[in-house]
Amino acid sequence: MLDRHSTDARPSLRLVAPAELEPVVPSVAFCSHCGSRPSTPTEHTAPGSRVCGECGLGLILEAAADIAPRAGDAFLVLDRVLSVCAVSRGAERLLSTTEPDAVNRHVTELLMPAAAEEKRGESLSVAVAWAARGDGGTRTTTVRPANTFGIRLTARIAGCGPPRAALLVLE
Amino acid sequence: MRYLKTSEAAALLNVSPNTLRAWERRFGFPKPQRSPGKHRLFTHGEVAALRDALQEGLSISSAISRAREGLAADANSLVGALVSYDRERADSAIEAALALRSVERSVEEVLLPTLDEISRRYSVESAAWAFAAHWATDWLRRAIRLTPPPVREVSIVVGDASRDELDRDAPYIRALELFCVRAGIKVLSLSARGVAGIGDAANVHRPNLVVVAGGHLDDDTVARWAYAIRLAVGAMPLAIYRRGAERPRTRVTGTAVLPSGAGDAQRTLLDLLESDHVATTPSASAAAAGARLQLRSASRSSQ
Repeated sequence: MLDRHSTDARPSLRLVAPAELEPVVPSVAFCSHCGSRPSTPTEHTAPGSRVCGECGLGLILEAAADIAPRAGDAFLVLDRVLSVCAVSRGAERLLSTTEPDAVNRHVTELLMPAAAEEKRGESLSVAVAWAARGDGGTRTTTVRPANTFGIRLTARIAGCGPPRAALLVLE
Repeated sequence: MRYLKTSEAAALLNVSPNTLRAWERRFGFPKPQRSPGKHRLFTHGEVAALRDALQEGLSISSAISRAREGLAADANSLVGALVSYDRERADSAIEAALALRSVERSVEEVLLPTLDEISRRYSVESAAWAFAAHWATDWLRRAIRLTPPPVREVSIVVGDASRDELDRDAPYIRALELFCVRAGIKVLSLSARGVAGIGDAANVHRPNLVVVAGGHLDDDTVARWAYAIRLAVGAMPLAIYRRGAERPRTRVTGTAVLPSGAGDAQRTLLDLLESDHVATTPSASAAAAGARLQLRSASRSSQ
C-alpha cells in the first residue's frame, strides 16, 4: 500500500548522470556526391543553398562524425526501400556506374550481400532499413559489387539526412 | 508560357549559373530552349518543379528524377484521357503540359509519345488509336492555324505520302509542319498522290525545298509527284521524312534523310534551308544576279 507521507513513494524525477547516456556523436555536413565537407560559404555558394559549392553536383547532408565520408570516399545514400538516392564520385569509379544511371535502382543491382562468406556482420537490407528509419548507431556488413565475385568490401551503414536516409560507406 | 534566363533560373534554384549549366550537361535537365540570340531560356514550370524536388531530395540526380516524374504525369494523363475517349480531358491534359513546356516540347514529350504508347498498346487498327489519332491531328492542325504568319523568306512543300490520318506517321508529319510553321517557314502540305495541277501550286508557292513525308505510297508514285514539281520550278533539294529506313532504294543521291523525330527533323531542315545551296530565295537570287551583272558591266567599263 502506498504511504502518502513517505517521500520514497512519491513520483519524482531523477537526475541522470551524463555518464549513463550514450555518447553524443557530433554530426557533420558533407556533399552527397563529392563527399567534401563545406566549411564557410564560398563566393560561388549561394546563401541558404543545399547544393554543394565545391562540385555543384550534390546536396549537403548530415551524418554522425564517425561515419560521415570525406572527399573522394566511396559511398551511397539509400532510402528505406533500399533504392539508391545518391552515388558518390568514388562509388561511381568503384562500381563502374554513374549516378544518373544508378538512381532509383535497387541497391542489390549495385551491391550484393557477402556476409555469408564473412560469417559475421548483419544483413545488408536490415541494416539499411534500420538506418533509414533513424535508429542510431553504425552497423557493419560485408558486400561485393553485384557483377563481380571475389571482391569483398566492408560497408558501414548509419543514418543521414535530411530527409532521413541511410548512408552506406564502402571501405 | 513563362521563360527564365539562366541568371533568373539560377536565382530561383539558389545556385550559380555555372552550376545550372553543369546540371544541363550532366543530367540534361532542366533542358533550355534557345532564344533567337542563342541564349538559354528555361521554362518556369521545369525550374519550379526542380526547386520543389531539391527541397526534399537526397541528391541532384534523385531530385531531377522526381521532377521528371512529375512532368511525365502529363503524358500518362493524356493516355488515360484518350483511351477513355474523353476529348475534354485530353484537351485539359495537353493544356497542363503546355503550362510547363513550349509547344514544341509538349508535342515531342507528351503528345507524340502518348500516340506511340496507344499504338503500341492497342495497335493502329483499334478504336482507341482512331480516336487518339483524330484528336491529335485536329489539335496539331489547330495549332498550325493559330501560329502567326511566317517571317522567313523560305518555304517548303510537304508531299504527304502517308495513308490517311490513321497512319502512324501522320501525326509526326503534322508535328513537323507545325514546328516548321512556328520557325517562320511557309509550308504547303499536299498529298503526294495528286500530280494534276501540282505545277500551278509550286509556281505560286515557289518552294526552296521539297519534303516527301510518310511511307505508305510507293517510290514510283512519289517520284512522279516530285518530278512534276521539278518540271514546274526547276531542280531543288529533296528531303525524305519517315519513309522507312528499311525501304529498299536504288537512288538516294542528293536526297537528305531527315531524322524520325519531328524536332530533330525540323532542325535538320533549317540547317538545309540555311545552307548556301538552299537559303537563297528567288528574290535574293534575282538581286544577287543583278549585282553580278552590275559588277560585270562595271568591270567592262573600267577596262
